[in-house]
Amino acid sequence: MDYVTVKSSNRKSRVVGALLASAALLLPSAKNALADAAPEQGIVSMKYLNYHDSQTGDSDLTAGMSKDRMTVNALSFMGMVPIAGKWSVAATFIEDSVTGASPAYHGWGFPEDTTSGASGDLRHAGDLNVTRYFSRGTLTLGTSYSQESDYKSLGCSLNGTLSTESRNTTFSFGTAFNSDTIDLNKEAVVHKQADPGHKTVFSSLLGVTQVMSQNDIMQMTVTLTHGYGHYSDPYKNYDLRPGHRNMVTFMTRWNHHFDGPNGTTRLSYRYYSDSFGIQSHTLDAEYVQPLPKGWEITPSLRYYSQSAADFYVPTGDNPRDYTPVTGLEHYSEDQRLSAFGAFSYGIKVSKELGRSWTTDVKYEHCEQRYNWGINGKGDPGIPTFNMSAIQVGLSRKF
Amino acid sequence: MKSRCVLAKGALFALLLMTGLSGCSSVQPWEKQNLAKTEMTFEGDRLDTGYTEHIYSSKEASSGGAGVGGGGCGCN
Repeated sequence: MDYVTVKSSNRKSRVVGALLASAALLLPSAKNALADAAPEQGIVSMKYLNYHDSQTGDSDLTAGMSKDRMTVNALSFMGMVPIAGKWSVAATFIEDSVTGASPAYHGWGFPEDTTSGASGDLRHAGDLNVTRYFSRGTLTLGTSYSQESDYKSLGCSLNGTLSTESRNTTFSFGTAFNSDTIDLNKEAVVHKQADPGHKTVFSSLLGVTQVMSQNDIMQMTVTLTHGYGHYSDPYKNYDLRPGHRNMVTFMTRWNHHFDGPNGTTRLSYRYYSDSFGIQSHTLDAEYVQPLPKGWEITPSLRYYSQSAADFYVPTGDNPRDYTPVTGLEHYSEDQRLSAFGAFSYGIKVSKELGRSWTTDVKYEHCEQRYNWGINGKGDPGIPTFNMSAIQVGLSRKF
Repeated sequence: MKSRCVLAKGALFALLLMTGLSGCSSVQPWEKQNLAKTEMTFEGDRLDTGYTEHIYSSKEASSGGAGVGGGGCGCN
């Protein structure tokens, strides 16, 4: 294309521009570049997950604390249907089954019956989203639920986007409300009470997605969340958390397409801070490489680091013993509130089966260690934590 | 007080960045073939994302960032 010639005449420029725009609209992929356009195809998909985690006592302090912990098997379904070119309805449903146990404090105190506590449970969850597409924006109304034997959550949300005339910049906004109910009268609950606990959470989001070049697109979002109610873990022996939690999350994502190999890097960074005193950094990187005959391979890496909560009570000389909490207003010996770092790696392989069907397999492994973080000193009495997940999926467009 | 200060700083920082970003490119519609590829969007595989976010949010203190909405869970 000769840009000098195009610029030399306004009339010629308009004609060439119109022809190119018309040609671009004939390409399905180019038409989909308009973020506000309604989807042309529906999709149904299902995915199976097998998850397993364990801990390893691999230091002098944690020797003998190795243990298998939890296993999760889950099956989920998703369907999305476009309606009349201006609407779409999307729904997901998931059933997961949890077996095993997590420690009652720090990395120890496992119940003898490994199906007690928060585990040995069946959870059902789903959501429904209705989207209206406008010439330069979208509006999505959503509702969600999640139910297990000791926990019920109901939520609703409103999300929207608004694009500039060039569609190179898209502003997004969202707000969500969740109301959760916790059964505090189950056998394994540490401090039983007849009345259920409640937790209410409000979230709001602002974001911008910016086309940076023909091969680069960037997105930044900030999310503010305010919650109040029952934040303590009813199955932990020494856990009394503040009754409210404010959270700020800043996330930036950058996708870059490489013309040569026709591959795409997807990078993201997330900063998180909350009123528990926890700060964290999350770096994600993956590379999507399409291959001949409909194959696609996606390796990924992740690094995560968090600081400890202000009220986290570390292990003492013997990590198998709990640490006394007498006199403290708030306290927790939950290792998830300690300082640590984690590395993950994964790989996903997908294959198109004809024009409509796609199948995929993904494996991901993560390891958490007390001394891998960059947000302060970790707790050496916490064993190394490992988790692995395998996903197998199948989807069909129609 | 501390949490309000953190909230205000975070929001201000992000809004300044957002304002600076808008209008810094002029890619034409017919130049967006690569941007329209599925892997160049931020949505991704919804069920895969759902599983992965759920796993990490149940084993780490942090969660969220990519969007709002969705059910809570007793695991975190």
